[in-house]
Amino acid sequence: MLILTYDGTFEGLLTVVYECYYQKLQPQDIQVEGEKEKDFVSRYVFIDTEDEKADKVYRSIEEKISSQALKNCYYAFLSDDETRSISLYHYIRLGFKQGKAIDSFLTQEAVANLHGIMQKVVRERHRMLGLTRFVELEDGSLYGKIQPKYNILSLIAPHFAERLGSERWMIHDEGRNLLVIGTEGKWLLRDYTMKEALKVHKREAFFQSLWKEFHQSIAIKDRKNLKLQGQLMPKRYWHNLTEMQGSPPRDGEK
Amino acid sequence: MELQEKLKILSDAAKYDVSCSSSGSNRKNTPGGLGSASEAGICHSWTEDGRCVSLLKILFSNECVYDCVYCHNKRSNAIPRATFTPREVVELTLNFYKRNYIEGLFLSSGVVNNPDHTMEQLLEVVKRLREEKFNGYIHLKGIPGADPKLIHAAGNYVDRMSINIELPSEKSLLSLAPQKKKESILLPMASIKEEISVYKAEKKISRFTPSFLPAGQTTQMIIGASPESDLNILNLSEGLYNRFSMKRVYYSAYIPANDNSLLPSIQTKPPLLREHRLYQGDWLLRFYGFTAKELLNPANPNFDLDLDPKCFWAIENLQHFPVEINKASYEELLRIPGVGVRSAWKIIKARRVGSLDYQDLKKIGVVLKRAKYFITCKGKYYGGISLYPENIRKQLIQKPKDHQRQLSIFDLYSESILRKEAPSKVMGEL
Ligand code: SF4
Repeated sequence: MLILTYDGTFEGLLTVVYECYYQKLQPQDIQVEGEKEKDFVSRYVFIDTEDEKADKVYRSIEEKISSQALKNCYYAFLSDDETRSISLYHYIRLGFKQGKAIDSFLTQEAVANLHGIMQKVVRERHRMLGLTRFVELEDGSLYGKIQPKYNILSLIAPHFAERLGSERWMIHDEGRNLLVIGTEGKWLLRDYTMKEALKVHKREAFFQSLWKEFHQSIAIKDRKNLKLQGQLMPKRYWHNLTEMQGSPPRDGEK
Repeated sequence: MELQEKLKILSDAAKYDVSCSSSGSNRKNTPGGLGSASEAGICHSWTEDGRCVSLLKILFSNECVYDCVYCHNKRSNAIPRATFTPREVVELTLNFYKRNYIEGLFLSSGVVNNPDHTMEQLLEVVKRLREEKFNGYIHLKGIPGADPKLIHAAGNYVDRMSINIELPSEKSLLSLAPQKKKESILLPMASIKEEISVYKAEKKISRFTPSFLPAGQTTQMIIGASPESDLNILNLSEGLYNRFSMKRVYYSAYIPANDNSLLPSIQTKPPLLREHRLYQGDWLLRFYGFTAKELLNPANPNFDLDLDPKCFWAIENLQHFPVEINKASYEELLRIPGVGVRSAWKIIKARRVGSLDYQDLKKIGVVLKRAKYFITCKGKYYGGISLYPENIRKQLIQKPKDHQRQLSIFDLYSESILRKEAPSKVMGEL
């Protein structure tokens, strides 16, 4: 059993695809080096990332399959699904065979698997467009902290870059130690670990309490349905949501 | 009065307005501006009732000179009253928006002094917001009876406008909202429709035409405060979609607010399941090519609470089934219970590269539990029972537990999610 490993970057994975073609390898699995424990029976080969090779694969996916397929691959890559790398490989193989019709082969396992992984990333990206919360800092810039399941920071950044115009803003993926900073339509992604507590603007507390007030008052008591709320807005996002932190006491409630 | 107190009163008073959708507009940010609209709409939070929060939904004022019987804010109710200043609304909107709490503003109001005065205040708010270069989404309520000029002027600043029809018939309107005339609701709707089509025509000639309600108009009616049947209601909705190019009709289960002999008793539970069935029926009108007449008729004027409207229709019309999955047109596929817009589209797509097995359907998102009674796959029938209405009905009736779960899943879901990024579970439902 041959298992190929790579450094965990998109370029790395595309290099793996390249080598599979040119060295005629048939991997049983593709893994990020160090992500999974190695077993005794398999043969592991680490593939070094080479930008040139990655670039070739990148461009041939775009030209010979479709730009949609390329997007699908990138989204799937950002998932934390353990099968993402091998699924992407099978999808690309079939893609080179079938060309731009690839996404019609919905009943083929290679396509169904990749679409499934990608869809989850698409959904979380969309969700985080709404669930990101900014806090105004002392200097007037906006800081948002997120802990998404998938690595969607680079996927939401363009949205906020367009929307927030000349505001200075940051979004911090705490779990992955990544930070996007942006202003005037531009943005930049970099590694980041928070060292000291941020200084919050003095009017921040005021707007936070207004928002919590609103969030409470707008709910219809006769239709209370906490289960539905939890389904649509899973609890794992709550600790970064201003409105879900200690609600103000309501009339008629303790 | 403190801003927080005002916000509490005026968001509480706005909560029965169902619409919170921020979809249908793709307004772009401008240099130095704040905000943009997302065509599909974005939900920012969900409240304890499981409804999506997309817009800062508030009344400008809950003062009202009218006395609509069903309304909590009616003049004769002794309740705390509050009125924002335009500046306060602008500040709240900008600051909530910057923090990404909201997609924009949904502003409505009781009738302060008179309709014109109220509309002027609302106009002032939206005008100021755009002058501050705010490019987020704005949904504004048109006040029935206000000067059409004011309504038009506001249309130049906002993305969507709605004038609520409130009650499903003229008779009910007369008895429950005597100060509102049918004309004061329908005329502005008609003129908004006119204006939108003028705008669309001009836009074709010059792309610099200033926008006018890019997300169109919507309306809302109350279900269960008056005696109309589902057939009456759906007929009315169909008319509104066809004649006024409504983007959406919202239905709001009546929650007793006042004790009055003209209304259902104050103990009445809001008819949530009925509301849900109406949304499903409405969905069938808009996306599945059904007409109101097909779904309901004088002999069957109300939806079956135990069955979703599509199953109900299919059982009454078994002569159209079973349908062969590998041959049926898109329109035919859409009429199969358990096949949604998304799965019908996927079937068509997958058929281009090969024929489909029964096993493949599941992968595509078809709900076989329902669909199997109505289809064949490569000529084979998998339903396992003979095609008799009673047989199938028995199989399809949902257990009470299912009701609970399904209820409101999609009427309260923002339409945005349903349109673009819906989990196939939601789309594949019918
Ligand atoms: S006009 Fe509107 S706010 Fe005033 S009583 Fe009627 S429904 Fe209520």
